[in-house]
Amino acid sequence: MSVESVIVVGGGPAGFAVVQRLRRGFFDGTVTLIASEGVPYDRPPLSKEYLAGTTDVEAIRFEPAEWFAEHEVDLVTGDVSSVEPDTGEVRLADGPTLRADRVVFATGGAAALPPIPGVEQSHDAGTVLTLRSLDDADALRARLGPGRRLAVVGGGLIGAEVASTAAGTGTEVVLIDPVDPPLVAAVGPELARRLHDMHAAHGVEVRTAAVAQVEAGEEATGRALRIHLDDGSEVAADTALIGVGMVPRTALAVAAGLEVDGGIVVDETFRTSHQRIYAVGDVARLRTDDGELQPRAEHWEHAVLSGGAAGAALLAEAGPSAGPEPIESPWFWSDRHGVHLEAVGSMAAPGRTITREIDGAPAVAFRVDETSRVIGCAAIDASQAVRVARRLIARGTVVDADDLADPDVPLKQLMRRR
Amino acid sequence: MSEPIRVAAVEDIDEGEALLLQPEVTGASEPISVFHGEDGGFYALDDECTHETASLADGLVDGDTVECPKHSAAFCLKDGRALCLPATRDARTHRVEVRDGEIYLHPGVPAQA
Ligand SMILES: Cc1cc2nc3c(=O)[nH]c(=O)nc-3n(C[C@H](O)[C@H](O)[C@H](O)COP(=O)(O)OP(=O)(O)OC[C@H]3O[C@@H](n4cnc5c(N)ncnc54)[C@H](O)[C@@H]3O)c2cc1C
Ligand code: FES
Repeated sequence: MSVESVIVVGGGPAGFAVVQRLRRGFFDGTVTLIASEGVPYDRPPLSKEYLAGTTDVEAIRFEPAEWFAEHEVDLVTGDVSSVEPDTGEVRLADGPTLRADRVVFATGGAAALPPIPGVEQSHDAGTVLTLRSLDDADALRARLGPGRRLAVVGGGLIGAEVASTAAGTGTEVVLIDPVDPPLVAAVGPELARRLHDMHAAHGVEVRTAAVAQVEAGEEATGRALRIHLDDGSEVAADTALIGVGMVPRTALAVAAGLEVDGGIVVDETFRTSHQRIYAVGDVARLRTDDGELQPRAEHWEHAVLSGGAAGAALLAEAGPSAGPEPIESPWFWSDRHGVHLEAVGSMAAPGRTITREIDGAPAVAFRVDETSRVIGCAAIDASQAVRVARRLIARGTVVDADDLADPDVPLKQLMRRR
Repeated sequence: MSEPIRVAAVEDIDEGEALLLQPEVTGASEPISVFHGEDGGFYALDDECTHETASLADGLVDGDTVECPKHSAAFCLKDGRALCLPATRDARTHRVEVRDGEIYLHPGVPAQA
């Protein structure tokens, strides 16, 4: 069957990347993007510049609304309620039923709300918030500022970013996490320690404990929330932001009978268990050709690369093509308290960590396996190191540990040596 | 702005490196970076990434591309084309000439691709 029409469900970075790839690759069939949030925008600024109020909605859109018309992409604002894989029918919650030869799920995820007593009630009351969408960011931003008190639950990437941005607006911030320091698996213990310690240095109060219960607190504390921790202490706050992870939106795929296992299972071309359906971004979970299920990625670049790869696979189905795109090592960035963090590959895979200090503080951590090849790298304000490491990983270059540790050895040199 | 200005000698910018030039030097409205590509060529782009705020001079030159140090958008050094997300706008190019071992920049004159 030839492929003459594609419907993409979900307008996050992954869904947008599919559409962009199709049009850049001169796909001449019809392309429809169904997005519950309308014109696609980028999510990372929601905890950074957008939350701080230094950028606006227009600036975080990938392309302005006109781009979609100019590139003959039918942008439909709405919610898909069901997909029928055998016929390619896509039903909108309040609208028509569309049909396409191929359907791509790019439905992303929703912020997780942990089953802690009182959390759901306070979430309904608007004092416990999560952060995933533009609307969420607007709601949170309205509750920041001098005199306000914010409790951030979860010290991972999003929690740390929100704590940092909120502190920058003059909000009093308390960061609560039972793990000290968080992020060890993502960036290694040396950098995790340095990053976590930045909170206190920037006026954020850090509590190492788990939240046991949340209740309305006006009477007891004069603040909307009274948060009980498992060490017996309490935190009073006007607002709590929960940043404990996300849950992939797999309901449509489950209802469509696709294989789902902690994410919609896809092969290396991002095709699901049904040949008509692809899945990309945070909602997809890769099973590599050797049959192994990989952990689900939850980072921006994976969203964009998987969207591009599915776009390329669709182009290949529609006509001759340049072949599959390589799968890259996972890469992410995060910003807090004025520093830029990046990591690539795995800092938790078997091997040892070599750190490079800059100005007396650990700035770059390399994970190296027993064959002296780099398998992961994390860096604080040294993104060049991560750019180089990524190429060392891709090329399987054997490196000398002393060179990695020595700040006087330019990293680019390692990449160019053979 | 058609007067070319001498910005450096060829040996002043190692292959894979960049030289950042402030508006005071070039007379242009924005900082410009001159890159020595790994293909041996010299190229100039507006220094600021078209995505958010980052200096492309701090990026990683790979072949005839430069990768932004912030979120890894890549630009073609030859024609400024934004090669991948998150950038969707191309970078502005400026013509560069190499004469007698000296690098000349024509600020505001696009490089012909
Ligand atoms: C606040 C925040 C900050 C982040 N910062 C970083 C960072 O600094 N670096 C980094 O690497 N990553 C970061 N991330 C992660 C990154 O943004 C995600 O990995 C990425 O957005 C995933 O893209 P996606 O397209 O798969 O899903 P999403 O971005 O979740 O998009 C899915 C879209 O599909 C829509 N949708 C879902 N179901 C339907 C339906 N039935 N019908 C129609 N539309 C539907 C949703 O409304 C949503 O708009 C951040 C995430 C958040 C929330
Ligand atoms: S600022 Fe250059 S890619 Fe974002």
